[in-house]
Amino acid sequence: MRKSLLAAMAATVVLGGVMAGCSGNAQTGGNEAAAEGGTKQISFMFRGGPEEQKAYEATVKKFEADHPDVKVKIITTTGDQYATKLKAAITGKSVPDVFYFDPGDLRAYVNAGVLKDITEYVKDVDFDNIWKRGVDIYRYDGSNVGQGNIYGLPKDVGPFALGYNKDMFTAAGIPLPDKEKPYTWDEFIKVNQQLVKDTNGDGKIDQYGTGFNVNWALQAFVWSNGADWLDATNTKVTIDDPKFAEALQYFADMQNVHKITPSIEDAATLDTYQRWMKGELAFFPVGPWDLATYETLPFDYDLIPYPAGSTGKSATFLGSLGIGVSSSSKNPEAAAQLVTYLTSSPEGMQQLVDAKVQIPNLIDMAEKWAADTTKKPANKAEFLRIVEDYGKPMPNTLTYNSEWYQLFFTDIQPVLDGKLTAAEYVKAEQPKMQKLLDKAIEQEAKSKQ
Amino acid sequence: MKAKSSLYRKESYYGYLFVLAPVVGYLLFTMYPLLYSLYGSFTDWDGLGQMTFIGLGNFKDILADELFYKASFNTIFMMIGIPIEITLALLLAMGLNRKMFGTTTFRVIYYVPVISSLAAVSILWQWAYNGDYGLVNQFLALFGFEGPNWLTDKYTVKPALILMMIWKNIGYSMLLYLAALQSVPKDYYEAAQLDGANSWNIFWNITFPMVKPVTFFIVVTKIIGGAQIFTEVNIMTPTGGPEYSSATVVFYVWKKAFENLQMGYASGMAMLLGLFIFVITLVQFRMNERSSKDME
Repeated sequence: MRKSLLAAMAATVVLGGVMAGCSGNAQTGGNEAAAEGGTKQISFMFRGGPEEQKAYEATVKKFEADHPDVKVKIITTTGDQYATKLKAAITGKSVPDVFYFDPGDLRAYVNAGVLKDITEYVKDVDFDNIWKRGVDIYRYDGSNVGQGNIYGLPKDVGPFALGYNKDMFTAAGIPLPDKEKPYTWDEFIKVNQQLVKDTNGDGKIDQYGTGFNVNWALQAFVWSNGADWLDATNTKVTIDDPKFAEALQYFADMQNVHKITPSIEDAATLDTYQRWMKGELAFFPVGPWDLATYETLPFDYDLIPYPAGSTGKSATFLGSLGIGVSSSSKNPEAAAQLVTYLTSSPEGMQQLVDAKVQIPNLIDMAEKWAADTTKKPANKAEFLRIVEDYGKPMPNTLTYNSEWYQLFFTDIQPVLDGKLTAAEYVKAEQPKMQKLLDKAIEQEAKSKQ
Repeated sequence: MKAKSSLYRKESYYGYLFVLAPVVGYLLFTMYPLLYSLYGSFTDWDGLGQMTFIGLGNFKDILADELFYKASFNTIFMMIGIPIEITLALLLAMGLNRKMFGTTTFRVIYYVPVISSLAAVSILWQWAYNGDYGLVNQFLALFGFEGPNWLTDKYTVKPALILMMIWKNIGYSMLLYLAALQSVPKDYYEAAQLDGANSWNIFWNITFPMVKPVTFFIVVTKIIGGAQIFTEVNIMTPTGGPEYSSATVVFYVWKKAFENLQMGYASGMAMLLGLFIFVITLVQFRMNERSSKDME
């Protein structure tokens, strides 16, 4: 009796363990069996706001309708949980067949054998009709990003344009900004100063020029002044360049010297974003992901190039998010089909564009979309100019990890508050950042072994 | 040893069967990850694949890591909230233990934050601390003070977080104290009053010693919890605050592990944190044992 009970207990434990261990295999085994019967099951993990999730779910449904032999299991998360969940899936060796990934993680994922080389599966894609910059971010030849085989396709490209409140200019009787010719830095300050006003006469300023978040907008000023975070080889931190310091100082002075932004410590996005939407700011960045929300703005707005520094040229960042295929996928072909459907097929793209969650990846579709000036903003072509001409990837996506880059923004507050000059800051910060970058380079070398 | 009755034995087997589930769960979900992460802390594991043994390399780097010290300092600094919270909780519990009108309502009010989602509470407080529109500064403005932008100033961000955590957690400690106070025999107080003890003497010689086991429990769990603060920091100051002034050890561990591909390094820090908590708790138990003996 007692022995049998003990044995039963032991059996339960062992069986439980075996079953848990097998469940993964059993499932994939089932898939293969099902594949013979005609249906392949693949999983697709992605993130996004509620609107975006809905749009993507609907597009995936349509994909299933067009490909009756493929069933897609959808896994969604909110934006901030995605990275953790994906890393956990990779560690646990249960990577979804198709998933979003940040271009900054491309090399790590390829070196670790997580991402599949999908070059041969995407041969039919008309690459002349997709943004070259968007695709090149996902090419990697084992040492450099931007060339070689394809490990993913862009979900979309995210040009970060500058918007302005048209009604505010008209009301103040100031000529509208020229979309062909960017403001110089001095002109930009002057226009802003004209727009800072106490509109209701209560003695308090309630209309401001602008209010940029340093994390997303400083790049535009640094780059257009001919400086950058990294040198051309992406191995040296170059923030101690005087042109860099000049741009950072200009950025900080908007708040501290020229007083064209709401309040002194105000870099938290919530305030300026809401002020812009209430019509209290003259200039504010606009990304394609904002278009659906901005449709209901109580004023007319349009897009212009960012003010140009000493290079005389505008600059801004061009974001992107990739969709890739897991190298452990049992159905890589079906998985790659889903990737191309979502990123480069006219049917899939049209549906996503109609949902107003992104700009088209397909050039002909994008040009048609931008030419429709009846919908706000009229100058949507500025988005396309950023994609084709003056947009640059974020510096942290060019290195193996972004620790060195994060440190820059972690320590920056005293500069924004005017307690430290930009020149002092970049001098003190460069060695610390270089140390972290060196570590990242060392890590990358190891990951290739 | 003589064999006991078969009924007795049978019962003990059923007993084992009942404890099996938690034991298996503990082995699978606590011991296994713990040992794995212990091993990981001696490797250069990136969380993706590569995992080479590098001996004490991580620990050497950690002990020279400026941000690790900063995060450790912040974590310990924010424990200042613990004595404040305990004192307030005991005062509240004593107040609400009296027979007066509305105690039930107040108990509910103080307990509501405890059962609210920490993420939701963090977002609410993030708004409340906003420099321009925040409720906190609007309230201060009523008295003519101009409040800072709490979460973007390195000197105010930690006090702001401490205040919020006290608000969030005080109901729980208060409830424990209430239960403890209600189990103090009434005759102690009556006897003391007959002897002419004043209220301070009554508190110091009766109430305080009688709730001491609860105080001990709260202190131990608060310090363990305080060493692991993460969610509120991650939501309210997603970059670790101005100049990393609100980053905690767990926050730094999470950044390293999930954003910067340094799982081995992060495991090393987690091990040090675990060791710290273990030692502190051990010391507390020793001290408690000694002082209980003193009482006897």
